[in-house]
Amino acid sequence: MTSTTPKPKKSLPLRLIIILITLVGLNLIVSIQIARWSLSWLPVAASTAAPYVDGLFSLEVGMGAFLFIGCVGFILWSVIINRADKYDESDGLPIEGNTKLEIIWTIIPFIIVMALAVYSIDINGKLDTLGPKNKYDVADEQSPQAVATLDELSEIGPIEVISRQWNWEFVYPNGVRSSELHLPINQRANFLLTSKDVIHSLYIPAFRLKQDIIPGSVISYSITPTREGRYRLRDAHFSGAYFSENQTHVIVQSEQNFESWLELTNSKPLVPGLSPGTVFYQKRLSKGNKGWATVPPAPPPMVNDPGNPEETHEA
Amino acid sequence: MTTTKYDPRILKTQHPVPGAPDNWKRFFTFNTDAKVIGIQYMGLALIFLLVGGLLAMVMRGELITPPADLVDPSVYNGLYTMHGTVMLFLFLFPVLNGFNNLLIPTMIGAPDMAFPKINAAAFWLVPVFAIVLLASFFVPGGPASSGWWSYPPVSIQNPLGHFINGQFLWILAVALSGVSSIMGAINFVTTIIRMRAPGMSYFRMPVFIWTAWAAQTLQLIGLPALTGGAIMLLFDLSFGTSFFRPEGGGDPVLYQHFFWFYSHPAVYVMVLPVFGIFSELITVYSRKPLFGYKFVALASFIITFLGLIVWVHHMFYSGTPQWMRNLFMVTTMLIAVPTGVKVFAWLGTLWGGKIRLSTPMLFVLGGLVNFIFGGITGVMLGTAPIDIHVGNTYFVVAHFHYIIFNTIGFGIFAGIYHWFPKFTGRMYYEGLGKVHFVLTFIGATLNWLPLHWAGLLGMPRRVASYDPEFAIWNVIASIGAFMLGVASIPFILNIVSSWARGPKAPANPWNAIGLEWLLPSPPPAENFEDDVPTVINEPYGYGLGKPLVEDQEFYVRRSMEA
Amino acid sequence: MTLTNPDLPLNHQPGHIKHDGHNLTGFIIFLCSESIIFLAFFTGFALLKITAPEWLPEGVDGLETRMPLINTVILVSSSFVAYFAERYLHRENLWGFRAFWLLTMAMGSYFVYGQYVEWSELQFSISSGVFGGTFYLLTGFHGLHVITGILLMGLMLARSFKPNNYAKGDMGVTSVSLFWHFVDVIWIILYLLIYVWQRTT
Ligand code: HEA
Ligand code: HEA
Ligand code: CUA
Ligand SMILES: [Cu+2]
Repeated sequence: MTSTTPKPKKSLPLRLIIILITLVGLNLIVSIQIARWSLSWLPVAASTAAPYVDGLFSLEVGMGAFLFIGCVGFILWSVIINRADKYDESDGLPIEGNTKLEIIWTIIPFIIVMALAVYSIDINGKLDTLGPKNKYDVADEQSPQAVATLDELSEIGPIEVISRQWNWEFVYPNGVRSSELHLPINQRANFLLTSKDVIHSLYIPAFRLKQDIIPGSVISYSITPTREGRYRLRDAHFSGAYFSENQTHVIVQSEQNFESWLELTNSKPLVPGLSPGTVFYQKRLSKGNKGWATVPPAPPPMVNDPGNPEETHEA
Repeated sequence: MTTTKYDPRILKTQHPVPGAPDNWKRFFTFNTDAKVIGIQYMGLALIFLLVGGLLAMVMRGELITPPADLVDPSVYNGLYTMHGTVMLFLFLFPVLNGFNNLLIPTMIGAPDMAFPKINAAAFWLVPVFAIVLLASFFVPGGPASSGWWSYPPVSIQNPLGHFINGQFLWILAVALSGVSSIMGAINFVTTIIRMRAPGMSYFRMPVFIWTAWAAQTLQLIGLPALTGGAIMLLFDLSFGTSFFRPEGGGDPVLYQHFFWFYSHPAVYVMVLPVFGIFSELITVYSRKPLFGYKFVALASFIITFLGLIVWVHHMFYSGTPQWMRNLFMVTTMLIAVPTGVKVFAWLGTLWGGKIRLSTPMLFVLGGLVNFIFGGITGVMLGTAPIDIHVGNTYFVVAHFHYIIFNTIGFGIFAGIYHWFPKFTGRMYYEGLGKVHFVLTFIGATLNWLPLHWAGLLGMPRRVASYDPEFAIWNVIASIGAFMLGVASIPFILNIVSSWARGPKAPANPWNAIGLEWLLPSPPPAENFEDDVPTVINEPYGYGLGKPLVEDQEFYVRRSMEA
Repeated sequence: MTLTNPDLPLNHQPGHIKHDGHNLTGFIIFLCSESIIFLAFFTGFALLKITAPEWLPEGVDGLETRMPLINTVILVSSSFVAYFAERYLHRENLWGFRAFWLLTMAMGSYFVYGQYVEWSELQFSISSGVFGGTFYLLTGFHGLHVITGILLMGLMLARSFKPNNYAKGDMGVTSVSLFWHFVDVIWIILYLLIYVWQRTT
């Protein structure tokens, strides 16, 4: 403990400042590049919400990359420059702290995260998807629609989204029932989300939207699709044994196509709809019901359009 | 110079169990010595790391291909539920309590914990609830399989209708774990408040003590809420109440509040002590004082406070109203500030140091890099619009494994290597340690980095099968996971063989500053006994030339004589 | 540097675990922590009550408040009695302590009895919706604490007969009476929540 330590230098040499500025500049360029690139990490953007979410994401990736590269660069730099020699038992510069520096690195992150928070609150408002959640009396078999709050801005709906262990059912205002969700492009659709058993979650990655469905409550939810195509729609909240299979599609169509689908389907008879859990459960029973306990799947809903589960989706 | 009375025989006296330190049987008894209990905790916890790891290997085996082909989906659900539960309640909390037991008394110069018997009882509850939890693999219907959250109504569905079922045993085990943790927390906090060495004011405590205190405070405040929720869940499951059952007017979301009111703070219970370990180790291996010690110490309690008011960020998409989302988003983002203070302080400590890349330091630096990464993804999750897209996907799973394994796991390995000589009296093998680090770092990165992209594309968590477009990320991840399995071999080899016949450790092999390094290796039964040194300076005085305690040379000599 | 004479016996027996008492500190920390469970139940009760579509089960139109009020008065006054018992102990009047302590126990027991009578006369059970569930959970969990308190007081009473046991004051008695005050305060909140706040809008 008797080593002589060099006095810390008073001012940074010019050379070091130049190197530092170059490194920070490089970091900035790389981070901006990563931020641009990050947009390609997300599925296709197919709703009005997506551009907001993607923009925020890219911004955060850029800031995150800058911080991460900066910190890791600093660590690598220190480790390379300040490695102790093999038999060097001496101590480093005995710097105990620097209040000014401490305050700076408290305030800067504070400003960054608060700016992000304010920006996100703003986006939250713009997404404008989540309507009120209303409880209904399950024991009395009260109808969820009776208490639901409808979205006045919506152009289509309310479409009832009924989730079960493990299938989806979509009921249109004209009474059409479907296993796949058909939506007209560029129209704000209003959903009434209900569950017959446990918590499920409506998740459409291409729309960047997700909403849990709480049994005993009806949630009013609205989205506007912006891109025609066929996308994955699935359950994103663990709901029991065949949760993984609890998925279907959302089909965004032009207005004419949508209207004709609605009309055509209205005239179709009710058939058992898509219920992937049932298929797997049957297989399991035929193999002697091995595995751990599960509730049996709810019977397939009776629908006019059972959908096309084999069809591929874009995202 | 003052003289201190001391009886050299005390250092050589028998530990509470005859024959120690060579008598390994003491680890299998109801021993009240904190150092024995500490090792008991750590040994048992590491065994459960293997159990949890083995479950993870099966899961990664299942996930290497898109369809559910290795195990039935119902089995997969049970596997990940038990994986999460075992890792948290049987590996992580116990291993951290191991550190608390070993380090709190020795670092503050106390002879033992404030309540040694309660301490031992708290430890022995661990195998008890471990058996309860693992027994659930063998009851009809299999173990709990509703995830480690056990959200109702899934968790109260009870398909077979038996009274004793996996979920029942799960709740029982978690409740017992809570009792054990509370007993531990009361002990640790009381010990820290009441039993510090003379002169050790709060701002002379090592940062590990600060973080342990902050973490245990969180346990005391948060755990009872979880216990309350668990009691209600148990009643719903087994006694026909309907607190969370919509049919009886109950509300499933209420449970989520109880659960996360504890389980969010719990993540800081887990990470804070690791911040402590980072602070202790970075100073030793850079041979510098901790940059801004007071800020780092205080930041622990700021994290404690903020940690208690952010829980709703786990429920952004649960039907949480917009105002609540916004409110909790702000609090969540604030946590980056005190955490940043710590990170930057560590970076400042590295600056101009004499850095030695021995195994513990490698794990610290690797863990730090991973933490910055995982923290940044945490902040991304904290902004609600992003969370609404990636919530409940593999992005979340990748975020938290980046912290929980790639940071906390690394910190624990670092701590084990660093204090191994102190508490076993043997040196570990540096070469094996480095192999362990390299394999772990590569494996962990391969395992968790790619899964971020799977999550961004929309791959949900908790699925036994998935759409083929996610396959590529999962293949890489599984390879990384198996590498982690392999990485455990040099670690186990190192620990077992060096404990059995490693070179004898000196009292202070790393030339470190701290009360525990003024004790012989391994320390005697009651540490300093009645000769507790008087602390006269802040910790981490590397290069300052100031002694830590009065009569420093005397204590150094004494520790070497033993 | 002086070393002790090696011929003297060790001044300190190894392996013993008796150190300064930190029991009161530990107990206070425990109580703070314990209060959070009640806090959790109370907030749960309030939230369920505010949001439930149907609060009272069919055929039940509220709770009778008179009996519980008498019970409340007795429980709350027992806290003062316990306080006097402690005062006697401080003045080293053991018999005074025992008398008042026993009285506290009796009042506590009466409370439990009253609670039992109330429970047995109710027309709803623990499985009667959230109303029944929360009612029995809260009163039952509190009742368990009262019983624990009485048992602990019994223990302290028994220990007071050991000669010289309480000569220097006793942390056990302080802890237990602290616990008793705690149980009382919890009851007051509980009474306000369950019995006073009956109407839902
Ligand atoms: C174990 C430790 C641990 C730690 C320390 C953290 C730390 C953080 N976590 Fe994480 N988290 C988990 C474990 C942890 N988490 C677990 C287990 C889950 C999932 C549980 C489950 O669902 O099963 C989870 C899930 C989770 C979610 C929910 C996601 C969802 O389910 O949809 C969110 C959302 O906000 C979140 C956020 C954060 C934030 C903001 C931090 C912050 O504390 C991070 C702060 C750190 C930094 C920011 C880095 C360092 C700071 C700087 C370098 C300063 C500068 C930085 C900026 C200016 C940004 N976490
Ligand atoms: C401390 C906490 C902790 C730790 C350390 C880990 C470590 C690991 N975890 Fe995780 N995990 C959780 C806590 C933890 N986990 C939690 C809380 C969840 C959420 C559960 C839920 O959703 O309810 C989860 C979920 C989770 C999932 C998601 C499941 C899903 O949502 O479907 C996956 C999937 O890959 C996973 C994998 C792993 C892997 C590969 C490791 C590896 O890092 C493990 C490395 C350790 C070892 C490898 C040990 C040594 C192994 C052996 C000795 C066996 C050797 C065998 C072979 C080599 C074949 N974990
Ligand atoms: Cu005190 Cu031995
Ligand atoms: Cu959290």
